[in-house]
Amino acid sequence: MYKRTKFYDLDYYKFTGSWAWIFHRLSGLALIFYLTLHIWVINSLTRGPEKFNKVMTFLGSPLFKFLEVGLWGVILYHAFNGVRVVLIDFSKGSLYHKRLFFILVAVAFILWVAGSYVILSHVL
Amino acid sequence: MNKNFKETSKTGAIAWLLQRISAVVLFVILMTHFLLYHFISKGTPSWNEVIAKMQSPWFNLMQFLFLVTALYHGLNGVWMVVEDYFHCRCWRIAIFSLIWLVGLCLLFIGTFTIIKVANLNPGV
Repeated sequence: MYKRTKFYDLDYYKFTGSWAWIFHRLSGLALIFYLTLHIWVINSLTRGPEKFNKVMTFLGSPLFKFLEVGLWGVILYHAFNGVRVVLIDFSKGSLYHKRLFFILVAVAFILWVAGSYVILSHVL
Repeated sequence: MNKNFKETSKTGAIAWLLQRISAVVLFVILMTHFLLYHFISKGTPSWNEVIAKMQSPWFNLMQFLFLVTALYHGLNGVWMVVEDYFHCRCWRIAIFSLIWLVGLCLLFIGTFTIIKVANLNPGV
């Protein structure tokens, strides 16, 4: 019979796939929180130019540029691990999923560094 | 076959498949979105620029598709997490209703923004 895995079953945390899954969930929850804020901010377009431009000036501050760098990282991780999930489910990804994880994270990391450079070069 | 197909509504197989399809759609749209609005365009856009862009029906259709897939993918993702940790029926019904309520509100806010902005005059 199967035993339900509890969070304190530490054996579970030894595997690449478990960590990939945990971070996929956490990044997903962060992104739905961001999406909610994003929809609300874009809604300020309907409240006239003064209101919108005020919001955009606030969001254009260096603090938000650093948060944008973080957002880009979270999106890249979620998107590239998502590619891995799709390959596991629809292809033979489960045969090489660990190698695939490190390759995709490496690609995501390169894109993160390149993208962060571009974002920060707009303000610094 | 028919019987098995009926069962999928209980097992969540359709939700699983839609989660993968929306993932692939989002991967393409989100990467394009980030490339256009975070890397190519510098600084924060003014109200007039955004309003001018949102006069194109194709652009707005794309935004609507983005909104719907992102909301579905995000909120179904939240529900998948909830299903793993909440086993009491009352909690599940309450959270499922809350997710639907939040989803419909955000869909309404997003769609309202697109429609209202499409009918604004960019020159004002």
